[in-house]
Amino acid sequence: MSLFTSLQVSASGMAAERARAEVLVENMANAETTRTPEGGPYRRKDVVFSSDLQASPFSAVFQNELAQGVRVADVTTDDRPPEMRYMPGHPDADSNGYVAFPRMNPAEEMVDLMNASRSYQGNVAAMSAVKDMITKSIDIMK
Amino acid sequence: MIDPTTTQLAHYMDLLSARQKLVTSNMANADTPGYQTQDIDFQFEFMSLVDGPQGTPPPQTIHAQGLVAKPDGNNVSLDREARLLSENAIRFNVASTLVRGQLKAIRSAIDEGKNG
Repeated sequence: MSLFTSLQVSASGMAAERARAEVLVENMANAETTRTPEGGPYRRKDVVFSSDLQASPFSAVFQNELAQGVRVADVTTDDRPPEMRYMPGHPDADSNGYVAFPRMNPAEEMVDLMNASRSYQGNVAAMSAVKDMITKSIDIMK
Repeated sequence: MIDPTTTQLAHYMDLLSARQKLVTSNMANADTPGYQTQDIDFQFEFMSLVDGPQGTPPPQTIHAQGLVAKPDGNNVSLDREARLLSENAIRFNVASTLVRGQLKAIRSAIDEGKNG
């Protein structure tokens, strides 16, 4: 039964990487956002992964061992000070004419996004290899 | 099982799927801070399954050695995992084909006997 647990593990990896990509895309979309519900400019977010024991839906019945999947443990907010740009005509400018913009480095976001996408592909490859193994063991009966 | 060879092949496939499970765990945790690459000592576990008594405990998970850790303490190498992933799949493929061959031989012995 352990091969089915592997599918569960790969699925958890895909879900986590997808969540990470969503946060990264949100960061890039809000690179110039100066107004947020909390007030002040948008703050860059990042995810923290932690490993997570995975049980397959039938594990209680089959008593099989657990495998280590992954989950998003936390979404952190970057507390670096905002970038001050001199824009006196901007409606959000302070008394000195400076506007607080999110401190964001597009290269940083792009590299993280590529990383997330590669890891996602790795999990997809793992899942299809395991699926192939399951099919092969079913084929023994034919 | 049917004969010693088939039993050994079954053990081999069990171990391969156990190892594949660890590979998928490693891949899923490629970005988890502090995660250590997991593996099994394949040779040792296989020998103890073949020589050992019935009902040997499940394979021992060990930490893979000789990997470079990233600054966050994670030492998963995606290249190593990709290699193991395809290696395990190919080995499993070979083993399942061999088991199929064994079963086919038995089936053909039964079928030929019918017409005797």
